[in-house]
Amino acid sequence: MHTNLLDVMLRRLLGFAGVMLVLSLMIFVLARVVPGDPARIALGPSATQEQVDAMRLEMGLDDPVLIQFVNYVGGALRGDFGRSLISGKPVATEILELLPATLELVLVTVFLMIVISVPLGVVTARYRNSWIDNTGRFFSIIGVTMPSFLFAILLQLAAANFFPGWPILGRIDYTLTVPQGPTGLLLIDSIAHGRFDVFVSALQHLAFPALALAMAGIGQVTRITRSAMIEHQRRDHVLTLKSFGVPDRVIIFRYLLKLSSIAPLTIMGLEFASLIGNAFVVELVFSWGGFASYGLEAILQKDLNAVMAVVLVSGFFFIVANLIIDVVLLMIDPRLRFKEAR
Amino acid sequence: MDTLLDIRDLDVAFRTYGYRAHVLKNVSLSIPEGGRVALIGETGSGKSVTAKSILGTLPGNAHVEGGSILFEGRDVLQLAEAERDRMKGTAFSVIMQDPLSSFNPVFRIGRHLDDVMRFADMRLGERSSPAERQKRIYEVLRKVQLSDPERVFSAYPAQLSGGMRQRVLIALALLHQPKLLIADEPGTALDVTTQDEIMKLINRLVAENGLSLLMITHNLGVVRQMADDIYVMRHGEIVEHGPLRQLFTSPREAYTRELVDAIPPLYGPKVVDQPAVEGETIIALEGVSKTFSERRLIGRGSEHVAVKDVDLAIRKGEIFGLAGESGSGKTTVARMIMGLIAPSAGAITVDGATMAGTGRSDAFRHLTQIVYQNPGTSLNPKRTVGQTLSVPLTFAGLERARFDARIAELLRHVDLPAHYVSKYPHELSGGQKQRVAIARALAANPKIIVLDEPTSALDVSVQKNVIALLQRLRDELGLTYLFISHDLSLMRNFCSRIAVMLRGELVEEGEPKAVFAEPAHAYTRALIAAVPVMGDEEEQMKPSVSAEERKRFLVDAVA
Repeated sequence: MHTNLLDVMLRRLLGFAGVMLVLSLMIFVLARVVPGDPARIALGPSATQEQVDAMRLEMGLDDPVLIQFVNYVGGALRGDFGRSLISGKPVATEILELLPATLELVLVTVFLMIVISVPLGVVTARYRNSWIDNTGRFFSIIGVTMPSFLFAILLQLAAANFFPGWPILGRIDYTLTVPQGPTGLLLIDSIAHGRFDVFVSALQHLAFPALALAMAGIGQVTRITRSAMIEHQRRDHVLTLKSFGVPDRVIIFRYLLKLSSIAPLTIMGLEFASLIGNAFVVELVFSWGGFASYGLEAILQKDLNAVMAVVLVSGFFFIVANLIIDVVLLMIDPRLRFKEAR
Repeated sequence: MDTLLDIRDLDVAFRTYGYRAHVLKNVSLSIPEGGRVALIGETGSGKSVTAKSILGTLPGNAHVEGGSILFEGRDVLQLAEAERDRMKGTAFSVIMQDPLSSFNPVFRIGRHLDDVMRFADMRLGERSSPAERQKRIYEVLRKVQLSDPERVFSAYPAQLSGGMRQRVLIALALLHQPKLLIADEPGTALDVTTQDEIMKLINRLVAENGLSLLMITHNLGVVRQMADDIYVMRHGEIVEHGPLRQLFTSPREAYTRELVDAIPPLYGPKVVDQPAVEGETIIALEGVSKTFSERRLIGRGSEHVAVKDVDLAIRKGEIFGLAGESGSGKTTVARMIMGLIAPSAGAITVDGATMAGTGRSDAFRHLTQIVYQNPGTSLNPKRTVGQTLSVPLTFAGLERARFDARIAELLRHVDLPAHYVSKYPHELSGGQKQRVAIARALAANPKIIVLDEPTSALDVSVQKNVIALLQRLRDELGLTYLFISHDLSLMRNFCSRIAVMLRGELVEEGEPKAVFAEPAHAYTRALIAAVPVMGDEEEQMKPSVSAEERKRFLVDAVA
């Protein structure tokens, strides 16, 4: 049984490496195919042809593409993504600086997604076809269909109207001195340094962007949880427990919930991709200044090295998130652990 | 004897979207204390609804419109909900039907047992500690012959065999010594030998503990061992009731007679012998083996030998029966003959052509077609009969223009009216659906049809008609059948030759008459002995199996 578990994990990790390799190949080819000479972009329109040629040589752009790719992957493995064509600083340093802001936003978003959509899914399934269900379904459809940037703007308008003092831009109140380290996540760092005021301010700033970002996922996960609960309610094993008088609340919150969390968890892994995508615009609307807005900037300015790094880092986090979900699923569902024992 | 349960004029209807379906009409039934009563009927007759009315687990859209259910003189329908809940599992309890789906797959067996016991204790006003409950549960598990209660308690459902799970379901019903046990088709999802063991166990427990039993079943053979009184139900009404012997030997109602007659006999004068078929061999298997292996990245992979060194020759026009329990390899053999999977060793020749791997030419593929067990799941619910039948016609290379004529011809073959072409599966009965599945198998003009338990999902009366149809089609179209089943009494009457498989090996082969008269292999004897039969004379004629032999083949009984 344990070897099986280990085997499953090993397969996933190998797949992980494979996906990363393919992803880096694709983005590398794309970066070399798009019109525009990276050396020219780095030097600007006023540079002479000689300067550009010297730069090309320095950047290795005249090497065969395969060699360039191998060099790039080798660098990326050591954490070297080259220098930004615009600022000239190492891309890795720039990203590392901005990553915690986005990570914090994403983690809070995922937390919101779970604590809102799972109870909502359970309640709408329990009171199926009642007004509670209809209202819940109405809002989940809105969450699924409405683009998150529109949501972000609506939330800002609402905040400005109804909570005039509530911050709607940035990560933190400018008047506060922000404690440095150890994680870069303000919520954790503030507690580590005993700075309660920073914690509250960070939480206030996080609320609306995280909610805007979570809406799509909340809609999706609520719907999946609801249909999984309804699906399993009809099963024989529920009837077994009912026949012996096990109370409804125990059946729902112990037996059905665990079984019904498998589908929404899987969906959440996939949702993670659109979450990263939506972060690009939501960060812009709330002037978040994180990794995603950095990516947006890089795309607009054609900073190819930065774009490549942003894609790879996004892909990395997407795969890590799904690996984590795989492990959670293995813990929840014993059938995945001893498949061949049957 | 006092009456324990007395159902009087029970009326139940389902209401959905304003539509009312009257499912129980004036049902009256009584069970004496210590008595064993069977409720028999076909699908949709209302027998399960009757059980649910007693238990109080009717779905929300069901309404009791009249009548009473007296348990020890008290009408349970008039009781407050809390009062009624208190009776669940303690006054009466149910043995669930399907051991495979009656447990939540992501919880341990022990969790199910403990929760049921804990809440029943609470309702009875008893306090119990987890350790004390565990002790009591172990005791009950031993009582249902699970010799390793610790392992069962901490196992997940998927880690136990079907027979063991069925035993746990029985244990679940016995946690609080109820007075009435309601058994809803127990063991029907299991192999015959396991089913036999389960029936004996229930019988023993009922006798030892002085319980009353309400047995719900469609299997009349089971009834003979398990009940003293019988109620026959049809379309929500009790058609006839009386003591077992009277009902079996001299039924008053035509419907009861029909049910009794529809059971294929195992021994005796009513048995039909299919004529032996002489002719050329159409399917030949020589030393065929199939090993499924699972590879691993690290460590050793596992191998599973599904079929071991099987030699088989099926003659043209035969109805060849392949018997065996789940996991014996009979389906794997059929799939290899169909060319769906390739054998690991040995040679398969079908109609003169040797099979070389799974990527065969189309002509070869038309040779063998299959009819699956459950027409409810093997037909696409979103396709009409006509659409379902045109799929194989397309692959058989028939011109579009001739489809309609061919489909009409196929429907004629299986005795369905021509206008059924535009019907959807949900508009058809189980038997009609199976006829469509047979028509689909015929569409490509095959020479061989694999019948994978084609009647086990059907009611006995329907089974009889489908079997008659299959026989007629074989004669008309010159087909050869490979009939896979675990229903030995059906095979006795339907097959011209049978073979028995055990753990991937062929252990017995011959004409049914000879095999049933003198089974050579001990396993064949065990299989035949486990088949529930209708009469005592038949019971006498079954081969005997020694306790030692039983132990050898019924690995399941030992936990």
